[in-house]
Amino acid sequence: MYQSILLAADGSANSYRAAQQTLNFIGEGTTVTILHVVDAEDSKDEVLHGEGSTFNRKAKLSDIIALYDENDVSYDIKFEHGTPAPTVVDFANAGSYGVVVLGSRGLNTLQEMVMGSVSHKVAKRVNAPVMIVK
Amino acid sequence: MVEKFKREWLTDPGTNIMAGLVVALALIPEAIAFSIIAGVDPMVGLYASFLIAVIISFVGGRPAMISAATGAIALLVVPLVSEYGVDYLLAATILMGVIQIILGILKVGKLMKFIPNSVMIGFVNALAIMIFMSQLEHIFGISIDTYIYLIATLLILYILPRFFKKIPAPLIAIVVLTGIYIAFGSNVGTVGDLGTIERSLPSFFIPDVPFTMETLMIILPFSLSMAVVGLVETLLTARIVDNATDTYSSKNRESRGQGIANFITGFFGGMGGCAMIGQSVINVRSGATTRLSTFTAGVVLMFMIIVLGNWVVQIPMPILAGIMVMVSIGTFDWGSFRFMAKAPRTDAFVMVLTVLIVLVTDNLAIGVIAGVIFSALFFATKISKVDVHFEETADAITLRFIGQIFFASIDTTIEQIEFKKYDKDIHLDFGGAHLWDDSAVDAVDTIVRKFEEKGNAVYISRMNTDSRKIVKELGQLNEQHLT
Repeated sequence: MYQSILLAADGSANSYRAAQQTLNFIGEGTTVTILHVVDAEDSKDEVLHGEGSTFNRKAKLSDIIALYDENDVSYDIKFEHGTPAPTVVDFANAGSYGVVVLGSRGLNTLQEMVMGSVSHKVAKRVNAPVMIVK
Repeated sequence: MVEKFKREWLTDPGTNIMAGLVVALALIPEAIAFSIIAGVDPMVGLYASFLIAVIISFVGGRPAMISAATGAIALLVVPLVSEYGVDYLLAATILMGVIQIILGILKVGKLMKFIPNSVMIGFVNALAIMIFMSQLEHIFGISIDTYIYLIATLLILYILPRFFKKIPAPLIAIVVLTGIYIAFGSNVGTVGDLGTIERSLPSFFIPDVPFTMETLMIILPFSLSMAVVGLVETLLTARIVDNATDTYSSKNRESRGQGIANFITGFFGGMGGCAMIGQSVINVRSGATTRLSTFTAGVVLMFMIIVLGNWVVQIPMPILAGIMVMVSIGTFDWGSFRFMAKAPRTDAFVMVLTVLIVLVTDNLAIGVIAGVIFSALFFATKISKVDVHFEETADAITLRFIGQIFFASIDTTIEQIEFKKYDKDIHLDFGGAHLWDDSAVDAVDTIVRKFEEKGNAVYISRMNTDSRKIVKELGQLNEQHLT
């Protein structure tokens, strides 16, 4: 069992599966930190489609929140601004987490093609063990 | 005051200067390409980008937002420049600034909330399509070399950032491919074919136009369109930066600031501009948070032009066209297709309509205004649906009104009622309705009077407080009706 788990979640189906996997590592006194990175690159889409603001960002994570509420997991949610990969890396390395869990693929396939995958960069640079969920 | 100055200028200066530098490098090709779209010398766009960025860093309302010469404004002024020349463009820019200052003082920023998302999506899509179309003449039917340079540019723009992100890909494309052109020569057009680059700072002069009523009538329609489009794109960009950074900015100060920047720019030989979505996102992503980033972007741009002006004229046009293709792809809202499938049909219609009107009129301002009018009409139609439920009991007849009763909905309300003698008391139940205006009060008066003419006793019940208040003030009903 881990004392603290970092779950990097973008609200995609893969990040939900990653959240399901964390349930296997949770015991008494485990806290999961749900980290959602707000990328300026997505800001245009969010504003045009009325999806900005903390309220809507929480709504993106609502499935994961519901899952944790159902299973009595203690968790807190953090929003960080920046480019996904380096922000997750900095956040993970600044804290002390037993494991960092994230989904293998985000929402934007085109971006992934152009920029390379976030999970790969996180796995390479985070000091803690990293679990990538398909 | 000092606190605010320190926060808005001096927080993390290293990161902000670096971000400004990155933006400056990305701005140069855009400023040149937008000048060419407008049909003016590259210097007109470059001076504009330098001046607007530097001025707005002091007077703008949104720290870390980038303003400069933009495609939206350049596309608007094409007919003005081709018919009357660059001096009329400068005069129109000065007047655009005056209009924006007035709109800023009138606090027009608040009006932005009346522009629905569907119109905004239409705006960015139309802008993207127009920028793309404007490049076709620089791409097709020129030479084989043109295609080769274009494809090479697009490959660099889209593949290189996968491996290397420190220097903006557009700059790398320009340096590498212009180097190849200078070394080996090719059959392509260059920036130099379309204008000259002056390696000097902008200087003050009054545009050479006759100061007559006629001149004013020529530039006024353009200035109005430029002012509106500039503010729409600026305030949209400000919202995007606000959202990306979870901070708030003064939209009225920004509107005034845009006016001041354009007003001054027109006197120094620059074309009008506004905030830029793409560049502002690049700035914020590079970690910019302060006005220093915008200031640096402007100053570095000017410095680079003075130092490197001789090379800039050698840039092959297909490279700029490739960068503009990337800009248009980045400007287009690719969520539109999902939006058209999911959003209410009227919203999807307004979005498409906004795009079509812009493409037909070649004027973004007309598209936005038409889009706003159509969405207002659709909203009024949707909200003007009132249901009247007819219920009969042993000793009374009840008409239940459900919906918003106002000038647009009274006809459909009254049409649903059959006026005749009922031999029972009639109760008009307004529990599910709201009366909004004088027309609504008139309609209630009419309904009561028509029933009474047929010999019925009429009572009004459950009217909410606001509605009851206007009925008492404006209506002719007496206390007997208002039980």
